[in-house]
Amino acid sequence: MTTAEMERVSNHESAPARAWMMGLAGWLVPGLGHLLQGRWVRALLLGATVWICFLSGLSMGGHLFSVGGNEQGLSALLQLPPMIANLGSGVLYIVSWLFGVGFADDPAHAARATYEYGNTFLLVAGLLNYLGMLDAFDIAAGRKA
Amino acid sequence: MRHFLVMTAFALMAAVVFGTVAKNTPHERLTYGLKVFLEFMAIGLLLSWVLYFLPF
Repeated sequence: MTTAEMERVSNHESAPARAWMMGLAGWLVPGLGHLLQGRWVRALLLGATVWICFLSGLSMGGHLFSVGGNEQGLSALLQLPPMIANLGSGVLYIVSWLFGVGFADDPAHAARATYEYGNTFLLVAGLLNYLGMLDAFDIAAGRKA
Repeated sequence: MRHFLVMTAFALMAAVVFGTVAKNTPHERLTYGLKVFLEFMAIGLLLSWVLYFLPF
């Protein structure tokens, strides 16, 4: 696809349903959006990075955020931005939530030397996957080579 | 040493993703990824030295 064609697609046509599906697949399973489009090198790089980042975060004792915790009022609202970042990990977040891994509010857990590192890795894993998801969407929509 | 390793791992992962989704050619992506990695490392080291001298 030439640059002119890509511009035409991005300016005058709405993204096809396939692009939304690829974006959804990329969000749900990190790397899947690219894999389904045959971009296996990108899929491997993005997917492996997000998976490693998330699992490293968990192994360092990081905390996953959710709005429905013990917090009330404004404190509960403050959980929303990190939860959105965590949610970017897709199935990794969902499976952790289902099994209750990483959601415990335990002071002893928070006292670990690597707790903050773990938090950061978990947040960044989700945010990086959002980038991968948007990339998969753009490729499927013809906005990117 | 552990802090440095964690920072390096973080910079590496961010650089891989940034390098993969940005730019147009493999050479440009590699160059950009390397640049991002070095920037993360340099800024991280710089900030750590600045914070080291702060008395609070």
